[in-house]
Amino acid sequence: MVEALLQALISGLAVGGAYALVALGFSITFTTTKTLNFSHGEFVSAGAFIGMSALFLVLGKPLSSTTFGDAVPGSGAQLFALLAALGVMGALGWLLYVLGVRPFAGRPGMAWVMSTLGFGVILQSVGLAIWGPKPVVVPAPVGDAVIRFGNVGVRPQELLMLGVAVVVMIAFDWVMSRTMVGKAMRAVAANGAVASLMGINTNAVMIVAFVVSSALAGLSGFLLAPIAQASLFMGLTVGLKGFSGAMIGGLSNPRGCVIGGFLLGVLESMVNLWQAQWREVAVFALVILVLAFRPTGLFGSKLVEKV
Amino acid sequence: MSMNRLRAGLIAAAAFTAFSGAATAQEIKLGYNGDLSASPSAQSGQAAVLGMEAAIADINAAGGVLGRKLSLVTRDDVSQPPKSIQNMTELVDNEKVTAVFGPTNSGNAMAWKHIANQKKVPVIGNVGSGTDITKPMSPGADNYMFRVSMVDREQVAALMAYVKKNGAQSKVIGLMAETTGYGQGGLKDMEEIATVQGIKPAAIERFGVADTDMTSQLSKMKAANVDTVVVWAQGTPIAQLIRSMEKINYFPITLTSWAADNITFYDAAGKTLAEKPLFMRTVSETRTPAQQKLFDRIGSKLKAPGSFSFALHGYDSVLLLTQAMKEANSTDGSAIRVALEDLKTPVTGVLKTYNKPFSKTNHEALTAKDFVWIRWKDGKLMPYTDALLSTMTPADYKQ
Repeated sequence: MVEALLQALISGLAVGGAYALVALGFSITFTTTKTLNFSHGEFVSAGAFIGMSALFLVLGKPLSSTTFGDAVPGSGAQLFALLAALGVMGALGWLLYVLGVRPFAGRPGMAWVMSTLGFGVILQSVGLAIWGPKPVVVPAPVGDAVIRFGNVGVRPQELLMLGVAVVVMIAFDWVMSRTMVGKAMRAVAANGAVASLMGINTNAVMIVAFVVSSALAGLSGFLLAPIAQASLFMGLTVGLKGFSGAMIGGLSNPRGCVIGGFLLGVLESMVNLWQAQWREVAVFALVILVLAFRPTGLFGSKLVEKV
Repeated sequence: MSMNRLRAGLIAAAAFTAFSGAATAQEIKLGYNGDLSASPSAQSGQAAVLGMEAAIADINAAGGVLGRKLSLVTRDDVSQPPKSIQNMTELVDNEKVTAVFGPTNSGNAMAWKHIANQKKVPVIGNVGSGTDITKPMSPGADNYMFRVSMVDREQVAALMAYVKKNGAQSKVIGLMAETTGYGQGGLKDMEEIATVQGIKPAAIERFGVADTDMTSQLSKMKAANVDTVVVWAQGTPIAQLIRSMEKINYFPITLTSWAADNITFYDAAGKTLAEKPLFMRTVSETRTPAQQKLFDRIGSKLKAPGSFSFALHGYDSVLLLTQAMKEANSTDGSAIRVALEDLKTPVTGVLKTYNKPFSKTNHEALTAKDFVWIRWKDGKLMPYTDALLSTMTPADYKQ
């Protein structure tokens, strides 16, 4: 029984790592622009396919291949794929901001919800046209052999994802609270007009937020592909679960987001140990409960609206 | 658009329709309605269409049917039931097809089988395996839904018969299924047939179709001392399940739905783990000369070699329909249905020779005895046999 619990814990943390990274991506744009990229999930899928295509490029296969066969890309190729996923997705984030958010941000109405959603649909359709619907198995950069602690097993890629989520959280936390850029971002979030009067280039800050958030989606996709297979539909579930994690932890608090993501992963795994068919019910019941009693999440700061 | 341009456009469209109608009036139109692009099952749909096109080409080369040529109208339903329903009405009402083939997703067939029955258009399914597709709308009613493909309940019957027969090794049985309609439908069949066979499952577990880790469910199986699991899920989740088995180093005897034949399963599980489960298909990758000939024609166009079985279903489904049209000497839907239910001449297909494949009550051209046991071996779908299988008789397959 102890073994089963330990296995559920580590499996839950592994799944939670993916949720945590996605939750962080939501948090970054929210803390700076008070908007969310509702197609963050599709960005994760897109990141996975960009990384995968970069691997195909290095291996000399056509970009629209759908299988690696027996080819194993080296660490150089994997690094290139990571940079490609970060770079291309970052650029897409900038594009999304320019086309889909800037024209609407700060104005009354919810036009940016529709425009970010629409951007995701476009990404997915373009992806389908290039790669088709078949999920692609992507070789993991750190190998695929199970690591065992006694009878509890986990794959190296899952540990990597878990580690990266924690490292990114610490780095983001530090940037936000200790650096000038972070202070500028928080100032823009608190009051864009005043920040602008204080000499902060609000437009640049918002661009940075979207670029970083989208690059993070690229990173999530790159890390998730070897675990879940690269599929244009993979982002849908992690996107929703990641957002739920962010709501539980508190959208405005990066640390809370990551903890929320991990919490959700472990909860799912524990419910599986009980009755798996009730898992989704348990997850969303928790989200609703948290929102009812702590509307800004478990770790979110209190929302004070000054009139 | 101005009114004038709109009117000009409409006239042009009307003229075009009239023209194309005249050009193809002599052709017998067949329809295909299934997923060709959107989900992983699109590969199966594409393969079925390739097989059907090959059959149509062969029949037309031999002079067609009733002195007319056959043509195929394909409609992609992108796996969505509403789109599939719309396609069905369009094929029947606008394209005036004689018969419809498909779909890939069983749920979509369930969504429109009433249309086929109301409009009296015969449908021969060649991909989807859902048990209820070929059941009449009400007991004894005229039924226009036929099938040349796998049938879920027949598979379950065979898997459970194997488990029962293997009593020496399979003492504690567990059932597992994904939480989709496909998984839950299969689970219902498994539970029912387990009861018929007198098997009492020690554990029943479910998992999500996109789950990447099923160790919690497997830990419960392990704790219940389950030595044999029967799994109903799609290719990718079965692969994730076997990968989770590796994590906790627990490998019970594993029998699965035929989705494990999908290349996505093989890719995801990897060569070694892919060889764990035992499942059924309508054909292995060892081909008869006739099958090889068809493979040489269309093999290069297949997205995955494993999907060739659907090309065989597609080919044979067209042959059966053609024979029925000949015997009915008509393209009328109800005449074809009656002819299909009582085919006088055996039809030599690429899968097998169909001797009276359908009757008033049986609309399945392929049943458990036509299926083959399969296990992946070195990246190929190889026929599997053991001492137990050779002693299995039709009486073992209880439904």
